[in-house]
Amino acid sequence: MSASRFALATLAMSLSLSAMGADSHHSGHGHGWSGGEPGKASAVSRTINIDMHDNYFEPESIDVKAGETVRFVVSNKGSLVHEFNVGTPDMHEARQVEMKMLVEHGVIQGGALNHAMMEMDMGGGHSMKQDDPNSVLLEPGDSREVVWTFTGAGDLEFACNVPGHYQAGMYGDVNVN
Amino acid sequence: MKTAFLAGALSLLLPTMGVAGEYNLTVDRVEIDTGDFVKTGIGYNGASPGPVLRFKEGENVSINVTNNLDEMTSIHWHGLILPFEQDGVPGISFPGIKPGETFTYNFPITQSGTYWFHSHSGFQEPDGAYGAIVIEPEGREPFRYDREYVVQLTDKHPHSGDRIMRNLKMMPDYYNREQQTVGEFFSDVSDQGFMTTVKDRLAWGGMRMMKADVEDLQGFTGLINGKGPEQNWTGLFQPGERIRLRFINSSAMTYFDVRIPGLDMTVVQADGNNVQPVSVDEFRIGVAETYDVIVRPRDEKAYTIFAESMGRSGYARATLAPKEGMEAAVPKLRDPARLTMADMGGMHGMDHGDMAGMDHSTMGEMDHSDMKDMDHSGMKGMDHSGMKGMDHSAMGHGSEMTAGGASDPFYAEGSGLIPTAANGGKFLSYADLKAQKPLYEEREATREIELRLTGNMERYTWSINGVKYEDADPIRLQYGERVRFKFVNETMMTHPMHLHGMWSMLDVGAGQLNPVKHTISVQPGTTVYMETEVDEPGQWAFHCHLSYHAAAGMFRKVIVEGGPESTQAAEGDVGQAGGEA
Repeated sequence: MSASRFALATLAMSLSLSAMGADSHHSGHGHGWSGGEPGKASAVSRTINIDMHDNYFEPESIDVKAGETVRFVVSNKGSLVHEFNVGTPDMHEARQVEMKMLVEHGVIQGGALNHAMMEMDMGGGHSMKQDDPNSVLLEPGDSREVVWTFTGAGDLEFACNVPGHYQAGMYGDVNVN
Repeated sequence: MKTAFLAGALSLLLPTMGVAGEYNLTVDRVEIDTGDFVKTGIGYNGASPGPVLRFKEGENVSINVTNNLDEMTSIHWHGLILPFEQDGVPGISFPGIKPGETFTYNFPITQSGTYWFHSHSGFQEPDGAYGAIVIEPEGREPFRYDREYVVQLTDKHPHSGDRIMRNLKMMPDYYNREQQTVGEFFSDVSDQGFMTTVKDRLAWGGMRMMKADVEDLQGFTGLINGKGPEQNWTGLFQPGERIRLRFINSSAMTYFDVRIPGLDMTVVQADGNNVQPVSVDEFRIGVAETYDVIVRPRDEKAYTIFAESMGRSGYARATLAPKEGMEAAVPKLRDPARLTMADMGGMHGMDHGDMAGMDHSTMGEMDHSDMKDMDHSGMKGMDHSGMKGMDHSAMGHGSEMTAGGASDPFYAEGSGLIPTAANGGKFLSYADLKAQKPLYEEREATREIELRLTGNMERYTWSINGVKYEDADPIRLQYGERVRFKFVNETMMTHPMHLHGMWSMLDVGAGQLNPVKHTISVQPGTTVYMETEVDEPGQWAFHCHLSYHAAAGMFRKVIVEGGPESTQAAEGDVGQAGGEA
């Protein structure tokens, strides 16, 4: 108990630290990078449905205009846990390191999420809740929305960073016009 | 000859139904140039390896095979699910293809992925008679890539298969250059003390094995797509592209440890079936297995595909590069693996996970007199539950423990064969393989069949349950049952077990997501389980895919009884009852 609790606390800390450090090196969780920012529901001009299968997105590319706010309705139609995450390839790479830890610690278990573990208070207000505004992590059958404002051109992709999924091709291009 | 002509004439008259593809293969004497040596061998359509056959799922294929040799031949479509008469094993599926004859295979393609084909007659396959099969799926695949290459490995030996078999029978260590030397004996003496070293050697002598018997066939040149290391097969790419590499191990005898320094490899298929993607730095490919990986080179530079043999006696090498002629550094071979006492564990009929060498009551084939002097005092009263952390030096073999304490549930604890990645990263284990989607509904096996993998290295006999093929009764399965096979490896070599015609679901503890394979490696001193849904009638081959082990008798005929009446095997035989592997 104490050992695994300690490991989880360490993981939560490292996740939070990487989140806090994000602003300084543009590789984190959707605050202050050029690709965009969390959108307001009132500003939404259009809805894009994104279906997540094992292991690919449908569609695999989207076109948006700079300044446009999009409501993504993301549905997991596969049998494995998948993520929808808007970011640059570098951000995805950093995120993949975290996701690997989530798998190693049993938070992501193939087709299920360990919600209790994600909600667990690790002290100091840290938890492993996956609540960054640029992403959702979904179990099979689940559906959620992400509202995002694309602020300008950039090397953007939406991606699933569950270990192996991005590498196998579970990503889509965001073409900002 | 006459029937072949008639069959050929008939097939011309048959109307084309659905998607049908016609393919032609000639079986020819060819010249094989490895860069190290040139020899004559056997190939298809004038070359070895033969062509890459590209099929489409749902297609009905018709393959005309013309035998231009002066001996019988056959082609087995390795890993393909098809009617047993089309499976290409002389004496089990059909009589074989006579010199000068054209035989037409007809079967529907009901699967997709990477497979291969090879002769199942004599030693034609080690002599060069193999090629690749790529089957495009009907729907989309659960991964994507920009380009793809077949990477087909083999262990090309300057001697012909017949000659190798004769030499092995005469002197089983004929091709074993890694035998321990007198010098090594003295260095072990200084490291371990005289008595320990002598006892160790006596123990190994008693096993009729040598510690260095990781590979019983050395002296080969590793080839990739028919090219030796100096000839350097090269696949081109544009930086940033995803490349699917379809690795096929068509070796007679050699396991390869494959890596591409500088690139992660994401494994997406094993033996043609989709697996949940897993990114690795290196993987071991058993004889007859296939692994499909996706790599993404981002830089405008060359990368070396490096495949070291498991025993480190040779390697294959190829290159991925943005332009022809570019090369990257070729790594040095790592130190040869040495079997440890743990790899002898199976010799005592013990399950993997039990202590190697402890249960002396069941040491069937061992010469006990050699073991008497061993000091077992260090092993008394041991707590087996804590074995992982145990100090094996108590057994007098401490120096043989795997460096870094590597572990893999599919190797004996403390085995000298446990692979580690050259860069210290992730090495693929069978335990990492999980099916992308279940192929069958999950259900309890209806029956368990134990197959002990047995042999006597000193006489180069290889067998199953102590009985070689020519003396054995067939294994009889009932159509509709789900059989759980228990492989107990009582030898000190790794055996890639291949059941024809039906899938082998390897038990990695993932329930209905256990990976679906056609060839399963069983490491020395281990017990491995696989399950098979017996859903194909007829009679099939089931054997170790090491060419010379299969030929020596580690081979069985499987008869599936019952099933749709029209397809039942006629009891009795198709041609000669030969153990042609």
